[in-house]
Amino acid sequence: MVNQIKQWIQVARRRHYIHPYLFIAPLVISFTIFRLYPSFQTLRYSFYQVELLKQKTTWIGMENFLALFEDEIFIRSFINTLKYCLYMVPISTVIGLVLAVFLNVKFRMSNFFKAICFSPYITSTVAAAMVWSWLYNPQFGLFNAVLKLLHLHPQSWLASSRQALMSVIIFSIWKIVGYNIIIFIAGLQTIPNVYYEAATIDGAGPFTRFFRITLPLLVPTTTFILIYNTILAFQVFDQVFVLTGGGPAHASTVVVMEIYQQAFLKYRFGYAAAMAVVLFVCILAITIVQYVISERREVVY
Amino acid sequence: MNRPVISKIVYVRRTFLYLIIAMGGILMILPFYWMIITSVSPVTDIVAFPPRWIPSHLTLEHYQAAFDSAPFGRYYLNSLIVALGSMGVSVLFGLLAGYAFVVYRFPLRNFFFLLVLSTLMVPFQVTSVSLYIMLAQIGWVDTYWGILAPNLGSALGMFLIRQSIKSIPIDLIEAARLDGASEIRIVFTIVAPIIKTALATVTLILFLGSWNDFLWPLIVINSPDLRTIPLGLSLFKDPYGGMNYGPLMAASVIATFPMLIAYVFSQKYVIEGIAITGLKG
Repeated sequence: MVNQIKQWIQVARRRHYIHPYLFIAPLVISFTIFRLYPSFQTLRYSFYQVELLKQKTTWIGMENFLALFEDEIFIRSFINTLKYCLYMVPISTVIGLVLAVFLNVKFRMSNFFKAICFSPYITSTVAAAMVWSWLYNPQFGLFNAVLKLLHLHPQSWLASSRQALMSVIIFSIWKIVGYNIIIFIAGLQTIPNVYYEAATIDGAGPFTRFFRITLPLLVPTTTFILIYNTILAFQVFDQVFVLTGGGPAHASTVVVMEIYQQAFLKYRFGYAAAMAVVLFVCILAITIVQYVISERREVVY
Repeated sequence: MNRPVISKIVYVRRTFLYLIIAMGGILMILPFYWMIITSVSPVTDIVAFPPRWIPSHLTLEHYQAAFDSAPFGRYYLNSLIVALGSMGVSVLFGLLAGYAFVVYRFPLRNFFFLLVLSTLMVPFQVTSVSLYIMLAQIGWVDTYWGILAPNLGSALGMFLIRQSIKSIPIDLIEAARLDGASEIRIVFTIVAPIIKTALATVTLILFLGSWNDFLWPLIVINSPDLRTIPLGLSLFKDPYGGMNYGPLMAASVIATFPMLIAYVFSQKYVIEGIAITGLKG
């Protein structure tokens, strides 16, 4: 009996029955404990009233979700997040694409400019937002100084409830454009030159080439950029926290900001969990929609 | 007759190209320039109008003020500990798991693979609420372990490593096995050196992500001597009028300086690496 077991162990070691599980164990266990389990817990907590200090959770069903519909601040944050997404994503995608097309031309300083355009992406959002809050300063900031030099009206930027969100959007576009450029350049370089040459021989001008060859063949890349930018837009937090803290009187608050406030400043974990679930469902829905639309538009030559 | 006209068009087009790119580049880098200039300008220059693009004289008083009001050295240390810790662990776990997913065929392989990838779908804000509660119950809040907990492993990192291991011919590994090498040895002495570039890219991306992370440190850190750089910098803010922006900009320079220097030297790798992740996605 013992010999049989010993033999079986030898076979198991030689045929690597156990190795795979040992090797994936660290990653899988770490994720299960610290990522997957908490995610399910959040879903669970959204149906409870959670009091951490009293170690008590009370089932309240859909109450958290129903309260969300009546929470003016949450609705405001949700609308702001949508606005933010609707402005930030298309603008940063288009600018990224245009600059990528220009930077794809091989000229002497192209790598240098690529590096420059990418640098905002790698800086800490907090530090960059600090600099921009200085640029946006209504009295002494550079932006208003330039406006005054051009004899234009200085703006309130982050202090105005109408302009605060837009100011954050402009910052975010500046930050993400570099990333979009790099990805678009990578995508542009997968388009074989022969297509362009053939088109030019057939008499196609630069715009025709762009719209009939470049754009259709860039659909997968564009989809990736759109989805990634959208996910980033829905999860925005750092720059809102630093630039406006939620804006003059919640004018520029976003969903994640509210989650943070409710969970970690007011300790209403159940309520915050409900918000988080709503956020997750929205991100999932939009990602799926974008993916499905792009599948239909994909072109292969 | 035709030739001078055509070359003029090309010339105009080229100039247009350079102009657009130059403008783009200037807009991208303007905030950095302004950050550095403000940090070394005397206060009179900071509030001057018209704005002084070049300071009248250089001063280090703001850096002095910044270091006096916040322990940036400590913040650096904390950021370094957290970044190195999470990056090291993630690369190690990712290397082992990536190897296993490529080389072995075992029951539930697809299940576990999708399990790991599914973490990419769930936004961190969703996890963070319950993770905090869980860590509070085991006393990990406000500790280094607490900061590292959600970052012990990276699905993206594992995925990239797996992709690069796929291109290694299995014969190489078989030969090593025939020579009597244990699996662990194969992973570290044969596979790892071959995928050096991918490992370097993953390392850079993970280090960068951890260094710039803000939300989780904000949530889980309470005591001042655990603060990471983004957290420490964010608490610096409370300027009244134009007088305190000097130290604030100095603090920002202190916070971004190491990353920018590292970027200058490694930008080729970083950009190429990011581009590849985009293509795979």
